[in-house]
Amino acid sequence: MKNALLVALREVKEYLQDKADLAFSLILPIVTFALICGAFGGSGLFHGTAYVVNEDTNGIYAQQLLNSIKKQDSLDLQLLKRADADNKLNRSDLTMVFLIPADFSDKLNLGQPAQLTIMQRGNGGQDGQIVASIVSGIVSEMNQQFTVAAQVSQALAGQNIPPAQIAMTTMQFLKRESTNPLVGIDEVSIGSKPNTVKEFLPGILTMYVLFSISLTAAAINDERKKGTLERLITTRLTIGQLFFGKFLAGVLRGFIQTLILMTLSWAVFRIFTPFSFVETLLIALLFATACSAIGLLITSIAHTGEASTWVGVFFTMTMTMLGGTFFTITKGTVLYQIGRISINGYANDAVKTLINGGSFSTLGVDIAVLAGVTVTAFIVARMLFKAVPQGK
Amino acid sequence: MAENFLAAQDLQKSFNGNKAVAGVSFTIGKGEIFGLLGPNGAGKTTTIRILSTVLDADAGDATIGGFSLRKNPAEVRSLIGVCPQDLALYEELSALDNLIFFGRMEGLDGKEARSQAMVNLALMELTERAKGKIAKFSGGMKRRINLAIALMGNPKLLFLDEPTVGIDPQSRNKIFETILNLRDKGLTVLYTTHYMEEADRICDRVAIMDGGKIVAMDTPLRLRSQIGDPDKVTLEDVFLKLTGRSLRD
Repeated sequence: MKNALLVALREVKEYLQDKADLAFSLILPIVTFALICGAFGGSGLFHGTAYVVNEDTNGIYAQQLLNSIKKQDSLDLQLLKRADADNKLNRSDLTMVFLIPADFSDKLNLGQPAQLTIMQRGNGGQDGQIVASIVSGIVSEMNQQFTVAAQVSQALAGQNIPPAQIAMTTMQFLKRESTNPLVGIDEVSIGSKPNTVKEFLPGILTMYVLFSISLTAAAINDERKKGTLERLITTRLTIGQLFFGKFLAGVLRGFIQTLILMTLSWAVFRIFTPFSFVETLLIALLFATACSAIGLLITSIAHTGEASTWVGVFFTMTMTMLGGTFFTITKGTVLYQIGRISINGYANDAVKTLINGGSFSTLGVDIAVLAGVTVTAFIVARMLFKAVPQGK
Repeated sequence: MAENFLAAQDLQKSFNGNKAVAGVSFTIGKGEIFGLLGPNGAGKTTTIRILSTVLDADAGDATIGGFSLRKNPAEVRSLIGVCPQDLALYEELSALDNLIFFGRMEGLDGKEARSQAMVNLALMELTERAKGKIAKFSGGMKRRINLAIALMGNPKLLFLDEPTVGIDPQSRNKIFETILNLRDKGLTVLYTTHYMEEADRICDRVAIMDGGKIVAMDTPLRLRSQIGDPDKVTLEDVFLKLTGRSLRD
């Protein structure tokens, strides 16, 4: 046991002293974490900018349209000059700009149709489409006002009512209608608000632990290539101690990265309690042992560094996808059943349960699967492992 | 004649049907430097890998310090030190950390490993670079560290597989001096090399291998005498006469 620990500590020490490797492996979780913050750290509600070129600078209806856009909580308004807008669209700096033509208000005053032009690059992008939809709603409302006003004026024509009074009364009714519509939408939230961090962070955590599969598989072949593996087996170190040392090193490396990511997540998102943090660490550690054992199994089968790296990467990517790292897999679906062959699906479920306030005692199946994979992979790998082909 | 420290009997090893070692037998006396010479592919390195317990022989056995390779490999490993042909070092670690780690693997405790590491670094005149990272060492310095590691745990038998390949004359000379000093202290050495003048200079006896077999074995002087005036004939002449002039790679 002591020699195995020395082998593991030597490997961790080498890892900590290889500045490029260290920088990569420590920065990667931090970068991933920053991406999580960027992707999930906001309010979750849409907020966009409506870029508008207003060529009808003194037009009353153009101003009315701009004021309506400004009133939207989900929109910011940014006015541009035409040349500037064209230039930005050409360079794809913007994907959608609204153009209010110079005769916009004049045409409406004359009772003629007026056009608001949408200038877009491609389909205007996803955000652009949402902004366009909101602006279309505003335009539709303006259009409705004009229609109602015209119909009322037409109905009351010849009754000696001054047109200004008809217009003012119509506007008052429309305003009241828009404030207290007859048909409205009432939003009722069912259950708690979805938390995207809690939804996806477990998958990203377990993905980092999964990396230890490739790291363990590559580490042994690297040593084989350097000749140190062969040198080690001429010492008093037994093959069993060497094997167990490599296993421990794989566990430690995978665990170190996960610890960084979990600590950052706790500090920023406050998704753990002290107790659930420790429980999640235990699951991460158990999962790291399973991954390290699988890494050893791969290295026992693939005798070259390249082969073990490719098998490791393939295995990691497959498990990551099937385990629901990047998308939610609904329970009971075929994909969910297929995903049950992925070990990180179990780790993912366990971590999700813990950060959502679930009890460790309910994780029996997940823990049993992870422990079973560890023991089975470790034993099979040890049976197949040869430090030197045609040798020990 | 000193008592035999190593006795190899009819060692055989094949890879994919090709006989790399085809019935090799020899002995090495305690405190003797024994040279194993031969062209590329002659079976020298395979012989050393069998004797250092890395490979299992298909047939035959050897005893080292009275222990059988087949029956007591762990005891054999406790008696040997191996300096492999290719550098086998942890480049990201310091020289001292490399020596201490391999010392611990030889069963030394932390204090003893550090103490021996400092002694061996001094022996190789690398004390001042003890904490330097191996990756920044020159080829000669790496070769010396490679040898220093083989000395950790105070082995009784040292396997040196072409320890002077590609290094400067000063480092080579330092390695020779070290080997001769250790021999004087009772260390037994099995030495392989391509450099005939090296073998002539430091080996007490040499065996010339070709095609997996030993084709000649004696002191360098007697081998030279077999083909002419020993003062005029070199060991290389003997080597070429016995193994031929055709290229092996």
